[in-house]
Amino acid sequence: MSRSYLFIPGNTPSMLQNLDVFESDAVIIDFEDSVVDYDKDAARLLVKNFLNKFNFEHTEIFIRINDADSRFFLEDVKITKDLNITGYVLPKALPKSVLALSNLTDKLIIPIIESPMAVLRLEEIAHTKNVRGLLLGAEDLTKELGINRTVEAMEILYTRSKIVLVCNAYGIDSIDTPFTNKDNIDDLLIDTRTAKNLGFTAKSSIHPNHVEIINTTFTPSEKEIFEAKRIVKKAEKENKGAFSLDGKMIDLPIIEKAQKVLEKAKKYNLL
Amino acid sequence: MKTSAGTYESSDCLITLSECDTLEVVIESIVFEQFGDQIETVIKSTLKENNIDSIKVEIFDKGALDYTIKARLETALKRRGEKNE
Amino acid sequence: MDIKNNRKPIIISHFDDFFNQVDIHKNKNISFHHHLRNGDFILNRVLNKYKEYNVMDLNIFPSAVFPTYISILELIKNNQIKNITTNYLNGPVADYISENGLPGILTMQTHGGRARSILEGRNSIDIAYIAVPYCNKEGNAIGYKGKNACGSLGYPIPDSEKAKIVVLITDTLVNEKIENPEIKGHNVDYIITVDTIGDKNGIVSGTTSITSNPIGVKIARNTSKLLYELGLIKEGFSFQSGAGGVSLRVTKDVKDIMIKEKIKASFFSGGITKYHVEMLEEGLVEKLYDVQCFDLDAVKSLSKNENHIPISASRYANPNDNQVIKDLDVVILGATEIDYDYNVNVTTDSHQTIIGGSGGHSDTASEAKVTVIVSPLIKGRIPVIKTRVTTITTLGQNIDCFVTERGIAINPNRKDLLSLLKNSKLNIMTIEELGEIAYRFTGIPKENKSEETIIGVVEDRTFEVIDKIYKK
Repeated sequence: MSRSYLFIPGNTPSMLQNLDVFESDAVIIDFEDSVVDYDKDAARLLVKNFLNKFNFEHTEIFIRINDADSRFFLEDVKITKDLNITGYVLPKALPKSVLALSNLTDKLIIPIIESPMAVLRLEEIAHTKNVRGLLLGAEDLTKELGINRTVEAMEILYTRSKIVLVCNAYGIDSIDTPFTNKDNIDDLLIDTRTAKNLGFTAKSSIHPNHVEIINTTFTPSEKEIFEAKRIVKKAEKENKGAFSLDGKMIDLPIIEKAQKVLEKAKKYNLL
Repeated sequence: MKTSAGTYESSDCLITLSECDTLEVVIESIVFEQFGDQIETVIKSTLKENNIDSIKVEIFDKGALDYTIKARLETALKRRGEKNE
Repeated sequence: MDIKNNRKPIIISHFDDFFNQVDIHKNKNISFHHHLRNGDFILNRVLNKYKEYNVMDLNIFPSAVFPTYISILELIKNNQIKNITTNYLNGPVADYISENGLPGILTMQTHGGRARSILEGRNSIDIAYIAVPYCNKEGNAIGYKGKNACGSLGYPIPDSEKAKIVVLITDTLVNEKIENPEIKGHNVDYIITVDTIGDKNGIVSGTTSITSNPIGVKIARNTSKLLYELGLIKEGFSFQSGAGGVSLRVTKDVKDIMIKEKIKASFFSGGITKYHVEMLEEGLVEKLYDVQCFDLDAVKSLSKNENHIPISASRYANPNDNQVIKDLDVVILGATEIDYDYNVNVTTDSHQTIIGGSGGHSDTASEAKVTVIVSPLIKGRIPVIKTRVTTITTLGQNIDCFVTERGIAINPNRKDLLSLLKNSKLNIMTIEELGEIAYRFTGIPKENKSEETIIGVVEDRTFEVIDKIYKK
């Protein structure tokens, strides 16, 4: 139920040792794009030594390994399989590669959906063993489609909606693509709100300064919590499947939604 | 033959290994006064874990923590092994 | 007001002539200001004459010493300087003194303390050499006009009122009247005209931009949340933050809160940057009390906005003056080291090299209702928290909060603040707990402070020596 997933470069000690400072619910230590090919070995040993030395109670830790077709994939998994991490983030995911990874580890897996084929085969990916959620990689996806990213993000609307639907249907997390402009906080807020309104459960980020906005956006507001409390309270009192509140019909799905809101609020210490 | 690992960035270190008949550790660090001894201890214990008693280790340190020093040394050792294969 | 004489100043158009008219061998206590910072041409030019004339046993009182003030180093090496009294010292002169000391002693004062010492006759200045960017023939001078405008001339005003011989050095001598001069003509004895007093590019401080470093951003965010929870960001509050990247980020975050909550501040004081100026122009703060401009936007604003007010170092922070900081609610300050007693060091690094000094650090900390220190917990593997700081710049009794990226410590003396934060979601812990977190990462650094030879003292504006500086 993490709201934020922050990418941290895997071969940069100054970032690694501060990974819990930015209050991201989850961090993704990256072995892929942020580590040059000749330093993949260095990143693995750095992260291994780091995680053997330090424990993080309040932060979920994932590692983005290199994709299953790369020559780094097996070694990435081999060196990290006994580390105290929540799971792996798998780039360039397809049903076959997700399955391959799930056969190598019992840890959770977050496939990155970043190709048209992955979008078409979302369901197969989503119901593979140990898949915890799907993460949209809009930059690579639009590159493959030969289209530009825009602030309005109409070009990824279909993909976003499909990911949300599939994840919701399979009961896993849906994690939106990172916002790539480091300094444009106004547009970050718009983009994050859009993701939340579409139904994403979380958003990833590539810059620590983005985490706070993501956390705030994906946390139930005071008003939402207040409403949820009223619904749950009345439901307990009425003790029947459906009742009316302020003239509105409240039935089981609405009660369950309210319970989820309170669960989240409790987790983030807001009650 | 030399191998190296690490960077010149802050909180990192660059470790270079070369052949030597004895054990030689050369430390240059921005925190030498406070952590010079500690850096040497980490290097020597890592070498011992890898059963190496004759090598020259040069470290240029920009405030790396112990885990980083150990990781960079292990990487350089691994690269040395690969070159020797 | 201290009116020394009513005669007009003598104008000298050849720099060297002054040294033929005044016996510089007899007047060995000389002062300078540092408003032109690394762009200053005057201090070196004057001191080179002292080298040429081989004046011995000098006592110099620069308000600060910057890396380009290299003539001081030459005079020290020639054994011509006995004592140095200043508020801030870094660069080659600082390095040399840290390793060799002086024949006499180095006295590190504060901005308020220096002003008070001069006005009360404790620092007795024989000749004050005051570079001024804009000056008329009566000797009235301001800093915010002229080709080398540097903004406020806050530091040399006490010197101009008390020195036996007051010498202005300018590259812009005009005939016109100057309203509200910072340096008043009736105090001035000589005006020396030169081609240029400095290099404008060096005048602007190098550190005045808002940090986007994620650790700095986190510290600033923690700070603004803390100030908000303490109820300090309220209508009419007053605020001071330095020009460091994190301090400026705090200012930005405080600004965001002010806009959101429709709050207006009464004044900002101290060193002024374009970010403070923006807030003045946007109507978020009523007045800026400016003892020192950190960038050219601040200089420009000073020349046109009547609510941007230049003040002297005495009016800023002299406890026996009507000091501006008396009414200060919040000050944000930095630290090289802080200890378990909340003493703060910004004078030396952990290797005992002098890297700065109080400036207004200790003055504002003594007066502000809440003094907040902002710093990363670890700098290049050195934990900022120590059992005892290498050198005390500001006493722990004047420090209230210490904000880092990983948590906030409140001085246990401030039970009022602690009780306000009882239900806070901020990560409030003891300074010992914060220290333990740092040491878990870094390991325990080896302490090897040398305490054999005293080379200097840190003097608070109370004139009390609060710590000694030792030779490395």
